[in-house]
Amino acid sequence: MSAAYLEVAGLKAAYGDIQVLHGIDFSVDEGQIAVILGANGAGKTTTLRALCAMVSTEGSIKLAGEELAGQRTADIVRRGVAHVPQGRGTFPDLSVEENLMTGAFVRTDAKVRADVEQWYETFPVLGERRNQAAGSLSGGEQQMLAIARALMLRPSLLLLDEPSLGLAPMITRSLFEQLTAINAAAGTTMLVVEQNAALALGVADVAYVLEAGEVALSGPADELAADDNVRRAYLGY
Amino acid sequence: MKAAVVAGSRQHRQRQVIGWVLFAVVVALIPFLIADTYSPTIFGNRYTVGLGNLSQAIALMVAILGLNIATGYSGQLSLGHSFFVGSGAYLSAVMVSEFHWSYLSTLGVVVPGLFLFGVIFGLPALRIQGLYLGLLTFAVAAVFPSIIRLENVANRTGGSNGLSIESDLEPPTWAPLDTVTEWLHAIPGVGSRVPDGLTGRQEEAVYKYFLLVIMAMVCFWLVRNILAGRVGRAFVAIRDNPLGAAASGVNLAAYKTLSFGISAAVGGVAGTMLAMHSGFVGPDEFGFSLAILLIVGLIVGGSGTLHGAVVGGLAIQYVPLWSSQTQTLPGTDVALEGPYGAAILGGLLIAITFALPGGAAHGFRRIKSRLMPVAPQPPGR
Amino acid sequence: MVLGALTWVLGVFDISLDKLSNGELWLAQVFRGLSDGATYASVALALVMIYKSTGFINFAQGSLALLGVYLVYVFSVEQGLPVALAVVCAMVASSAVAMFVERVFIRPFPPDHVLPLVIVTLGLLLIIDSAVGIVWGFRTRSLPSMFPSGAPIEWGIAQLTWRTIGNLGTVFAVVGLLYLLLSRTKVGLAFRAVSSNLESARLVGIRVGPTLGFGWALAAAIGTLGGALVVPDLLLEPSIMLRVLIFSLAAAALGGLDSMVGAVIGGLVVGLARNLLVTFLDLSELALATAVAVILVVLLVRPTGLFGSTRVERV
Repeated sequence: MSAAYLEVAGLKAAYGDIQVLHGIDFSVDEGQIAVILGANGAGKTTTLRALCAMVSTEGSIKLAGEELAGQRTADIVRRGVAHVPQGRGTFPDLSVEENLMTGAFVRTDAKVRADVEQWYETFPVLGERRNQAAGSLSGGEQQMLAIARALMLRPSLLLLDEPSLGLAPMITRSLFEQLTAINAAAGTTMLVVEQNAALALGVADVAYVLEAGEVALSGPADELAADDNVRRAYLGY
Repeated sequence: MKAAVVAGSRQHRQRQVIGWVLFAVVVALIPFLIADTYSPTIFGNRYTVGLGNLSQAIALMVAILGLNIATGYSGQLSLGHSFFVGSGAYLSAVMVSEFHWSYLSTLGVVVPGLFLFGVIFGLPALRIQGLYLGLLTFAVAAVFPSIIRLENVANRTGGSNGLSIESDLEPPTWAPLDTVTEWLHAIPGVGSRVPDGLTGRQEEAVYKYFLLVIMAMVCFWLVRNILAGRVGRAFVAIRDNPLGAAASGVNLAAYKTLSFGISAAVGGVAGTMLAMHSGFVGPDEFGFSLAILLIVGLIVGGSGTLHGAVVGGLAIQYVPLWSSQTQTLPGTDVALEGPYGAAILGGLLIAITFALPGGAAHGFRRIKSRLMPVAPQPPGR
Repeated sequence: MVLGALTWVLGVFDISLDKLSNGELWLAQVFRGLSDGATYASVALALVMIYKSTGFINFAQGSLALLGVYLVYVFSVEQGLPVALAVVCAMVASSAVAMFVERVFIRPFPPDHVLPLVIVTLGLLLIIDSAVGIVWGFRTRSLPSMFPSGAPIEWGIAQLTWRTIGNLGTVFAVVGLLYLLLSRTKVGLAFRAVSSNLESARLVGIRVGPTLGFGWALAAAIGTLGGALVVPDLLLEPSIMLRVLIFSLAAAALGGLDSMVGAVIGGLVVGLARNLLVTFLDLSELALATAVAVILVVLLVRPTGLFGSTRVERV
């Protein structure tokens, strides 16, 4: 079996004395979309934070064969890992445009400017408000900005923490359509934590179900969507 | 690990009672042990414990307790509590020395007066928040000495020279202080620490100590009861989530000003206690250096805990004192000349912050839960 | 009736109309106020720099400036360098000290827990102030000014001295440069990103620690410059910056803790208010109290200072 793009083994994470992840293993192939499901407190957000060294961790995290564990967040970002944190991933005091520029902070190439314009095309509302403080945007607009900000890195791996949080169902659907389009166009590998299991399983290639800090179920997304336990617990039918 | 005792069980209550009795015995015995200026020598430096210092520490505990209500519990950053302490001290001092009131009766003016004062002080806090409030109160604290020195009031306050209070706190004749001392002295072993009878000055110091302890206990008990109930919950709610508190029907304006009122009243009592202790008030004793010390004591002890005020009071009394008494580099003959005391104090502040991030009270609680675990009462009983 | 009230007010404050109608006195106090205000403004700027990036007040800011001013003294008086060069050297040296202090004492703490950090800066205040006292003693010394003495413009007792002009010019230049640095450079963007959202700043690859260290260095350099402006008017001794710090804190609160323009205007207002009120209302004992009263009034009307931003955040 060839090594996957993202290969996580025995990942443990703790906040102070409280152990949240008890050694989980999972992998995502290049260009795939993976989704992590689970109840509140199962450790989904912690998993994403652990990948970016935002919590203290143990275990192995390999990205394209290179070990990320033990590296600092800033260096992991330079490897092309972008993270949209839960809720507010924007800089409220900076303008929309400055938010996008900040997303490309570690890039040194000349195409940053062109990318900014491209995101204004994709999300026209951001273009209209380019000089407005990000904090004055609505929740949905901020979420768009956060995602565009993350993609300004031109990441090879995009981590999304509950992108649908607080968004209207319509907007959520179009957001997921955008994400699949980006995945198809740029081949960006994505790892998504999502409460809207039906929607997430619809776009994902593989899925993992976390329970109390351990992987309870895993497999191709369509198989899990058909699994009785998953349907009862997360899909509600 | 020892088996955990269930909260509220007989065993747990027994242990609490034993704890309190031990505490009471220690508090009652300490003045006799250190009345004879106990000053141990450590690494070639002499450090005084001194009953007078301990009494002052007790007054400072009450001052921190007051600050704790506004800042620790209600979350209103006040760097100006020295203003209330100073006002209480000067009110008592003027009434005692000019109008010949007794100290305790001045509390009848200090407590309501300072409460009102605190409420007025709290009104701007309804609008001004966070660090802005902190800076404003800090500036107010810095102003206090110049108000005392104003020409219009200097004839009463003594201006820059301060005011010596002409009143002796002599122990009543029925207090068997001397007798107790002699008994203690007769105990073999420990007794050698206790002097064979007290001089007049020592008797006065011991008497003052007990007065201050009783006043402090009353303050702590009252504050504990206020905070344990509805009012306390409202304060904490305001600190943790003002919006949520307001949405749950907490009247923000009323409770914020109330917290400043109570906080100032307690601070005023602390001022009265300081005046009682030293028999002297001076303008610079209540300037912004006291304001800083109080906030330091609050955080070192543990913000938002009552035990923290006790630890904090001891810390801000003894740490600066012992720092300035360190005359040679510990263990050597190298003399330390210049303002090393302040430097040591600063170093200790940083070290304490490193070692006990949640304050001493938090650290103690962790150690205690390790040694004597208490399990919460199981549900459904 | 209005007239009666007015004369009563004048009587209470012991104001003589002679004084009030003395234009030269007015002008003289305005000049002095502006000069003082410029120095408060520069230390306030340093405070604002740290507040913007970390969200807390660095109480050791005045002490770092104090150290810087003593270094100016060493470089200029003891080593014989030209004053302006000595100031530059001292700014570099105090930046280095500030970066060291930030690295050793500040960075080990989580940056979003403000209270322990405030205590640490109070501890640093005590340590640095007494270190200065230990090294240089408590003898007062005079420090030469960067600017020539004399006044190019005079109206009777009102003199617009080179020093006043120099102080004001320096402060405006500093604000201009800082503005360019923060709004036009990548370092500036990183700095503002860190202050706006720490976690997201980390997640876009900004090295938060060094960015904050840079902020400390810059603030210390500005503080040292401010000290080098203020001290020649007074005398150099170890407690000098504590007084300046209080007025600068007032200035920062007045202008708005996160506004650099506010720091400058706050500094000038505090400087003017202090000089004018003290002269015309005869309130020498209440110099500080008047400053406090001004701040109280301003903050009651605008709780985040004249130019401070209320955080815009939609839920």
